[in-house]
Amino acid sequence: MCDTCGCPSPSDHSHEHDHDHNHDHDHPHKSGHSHTKTVDVHASLFAANDALAKANREHFNEVGAVALNLISSPGSGKTTLLEQTIDALKGEIRIGVIEGDIETERDALRIRAKGVPVIQLTTGGACHLDAAMTHKGFHRLQKEPGGQNIDLLFIENVGNLVCPSTFDLGEHERVVLVSVPEGPDKPAKYPKAFTSSHTFLVTKTDLLPYFDFPVPEAVGDALHLNPKLRTMSLSSKTGDGMETWLNYLRELVANKKAGKLK
Amino acid sequence: MHEISLVQGLVQQLKELAAENQATKIISVTMEIGPLCGVVVDSFRFGFDIISSEEELIRGAELIVNIPTVRYTCSGCGDVLVIAGPRPDSCPACQDPTLFPEGGDDLILLQVEME
Repeated sequence: MCDTCGCPSPSDHSHEHDHDHNHDHDHPHKSGHSHTKTVDVHASLFAANDALAKANREHFNEVGAVALNLISSPGSGKTTLLEQTIDALKGEIRIGVIEGDIETERDALRIRAKGVPVIQLTTGGACHLDAAMTHKGFHRLQKEPGGQNIDLLFIENVGNLVCPSTFDLGEHERVVLVSVPEGPDKPAKYPKAFTSSHTFLVTKTDLLPYFDFPVPEAVGDALHLNPKLRTMSLSSKTGDGMETWLNYLRELVANKKAGKLK
Repeated sequence: MHEISLVQGLVQQLKELAAENQATKIISVTMEIGPLCGVVVDSFRFGFDIISSEEELIRGAELIVNIPTVRYTCSGCGDVLVIAGPRPDSCPACQDPTLFPEGGDDLILLQVEME
């Protein structure tokens, strides 16, 4: 149980010891008095994070929130998309945001200006969010005005297409974004971000006339890696494609309310 | 470099294992690093060297890395490929680029030798 509120998360100092130790005491007396011993552990290094992620998911489920983890390179337009999404869904869906960055409160300030509960996690150098940071972040978010009533939680990960892919935060859906100026080769070059995601968003499509970004090629590469990916293209600036994105979010929230999303 | 945080988690686990086994020195650590787990072996080694040099318990310990094979099933022709290296671009038999992997996505501490 969590020390902060009694949510299902293990407390910060507890560790999941699900590895079975093979305590066979073979003492090969090699030289002098050295007693060496080999211990079979067979434990995943992801186990501690995964246990916390599972607890986070239970916590989100308890409060009835759908959680989305947004992963992309820096500058792909995650925060701008959130600003537009908040404006579009105002009065319809109650949104909360956890912002992840290495430094500064800038993104949180932008989101706060939109009038929704938000907290900023600054990792101080770490290139990704993990389940423990998300756990603390969600508790902080719940103390913000409006933080008790969230239908849709966005967790904006640190801008990085590599490291965040490895860490489950407890989200229900993972969304990977690639903006047009980045080029269409991102799925091929950073496969883990696409194999671990549910949804792939091509952003800044208003810039398509100025860049060589064949959308079908990028989407095709991503689907080869992960045929189950849902794919969308949009521009936060012109609003093109936004309705498909908003309908996807509406459907997630409706599924959550109907108990179809665990 | 998320490998550094993963190594920090490993070191914590090694300290606990050493304490449980009344060991004062880790001699070797055997890891299984799946080719699809998102961890770069060289970066993991680099992180291990840096962090272990700061910890008396682990200083000088050998890091042994096993790379498991991944079983890919081609969505086109159904052929099965068993590969230990990076993910192939396409099926060598029919060139279909969609291959369904099984395994190779975990990072496992297999064995620890200590004294």
